[in-house]
Amino acid sequence: MNDFSELENELKKLRPAQPSREFLGRVEQAMADLPDDAGNIIHPSRFKVSWLSLGLGLAAAAIFLIFARVSVDRPAKRTPIAQNSPAPATRSTIASPGFIPAGATQVVYNTRDEGLHFPTGYNEPMRRVRYQKRETLQWRNPNTGASLRVSYPSEEVVLIPVSGQ
Amino acid sequence: MENVANHEDWKVCFSEYGPGLLLFARQWVRSSADAEDIVQEAFVKFWRRNHRIDNRALLYATVRSIALDLIRRDSRRARREAEAFSDVAQSSQPQFAVEDESQRALAAAVDLLPHEQREVLVMKIWNELTFAEIGSALEISQNTAASRYRYALSALKKNLQPQ
Repeated sequence: MNDFSELENELKKLRPAQPSREFLGRVEQAMADLPDDAGNIIHPSRFKVSWLSLGLGLAAAAIFLIFARVSVDRPAKRTPIAQNSPAPATRSTIASPGFIPAGATQVVYNTRDEGLHFPTGYNEPMRRVRYQKRETLQWRNPNTGASLRVSYPSEEVVLIPVSGQ
Repeated sequence: MENVANHEDWKVCFSEYGPGLLLFARQWVRSSADAEDIVQEAFVKFWRRNHRIDNRALLYATVRSIALDLIRRDSRRARREAEAFSDVAQSSQPQFAVEDESQRALAAAVDLLPHEQREVLVMKIWNELTFAEIGSALEISQNTAASRYRYALSALKKNLQPQ
């Protein structure tokens, strides 16, 4: 209970003047002039969840996550053969002295299978897969607490040997 | 998603929020006619844009924005702004349905509050907004809203004490 509870109660007893009939009539007229598609307010007490929409949304999100394959580690098993966006040469030492790498994320947001290819110098066909990604690198200066973050799009083409068996 | 908007919905909402909105709008204009114009424009605009009616911070922010626009675009801008933001500005028409002398004194004391305290008090007491909602509507922090509210109550208490 605060010191002002009595005063607050007195204030609440004071009722604001009610809108006049003329005013209500004008508002009614203005609302009547609204186009038919206006006024689709979702009243809080009558809001209903559409389970079908919710289910479809969740399914879409799950599919996106499967294909997006968000990972925080750089892939080890794929060997990049070609890369359109050159990787920064100073990935771990780009920042000023005192900054240390604090993290790296790589989000693959699109994967395209470009079919079989027969690269020169290889005896077997290779499947060419193109990955479009966004890479984010972070550095942190433990002395000052400052942080640096760089994010850039990249594209990676991977040739995967195809077994003939 | 169910479209529940119909002719009666806005009336229910307006009967609930209308008096508080008018009181809120009256802070910037001296006449009830101007306040009604502001509330009408804000409410229709809010409804037309299909905002959720429980987003009260946005509703009050809309009223405030239209009120300030009215002041600014009016040819008597300087005089209106001086009136609206003057700490000693008094309404020429009653804002409350007073029942006795003590309520009349209380209403008069509310009218004498500094503008920034009065608007928080009006939103809190007669519109029952939370400090978070008030902060959102006025673009101030929740703590600032709470402080202004306490200052308003403190000032009222001081003004109402017998000399």
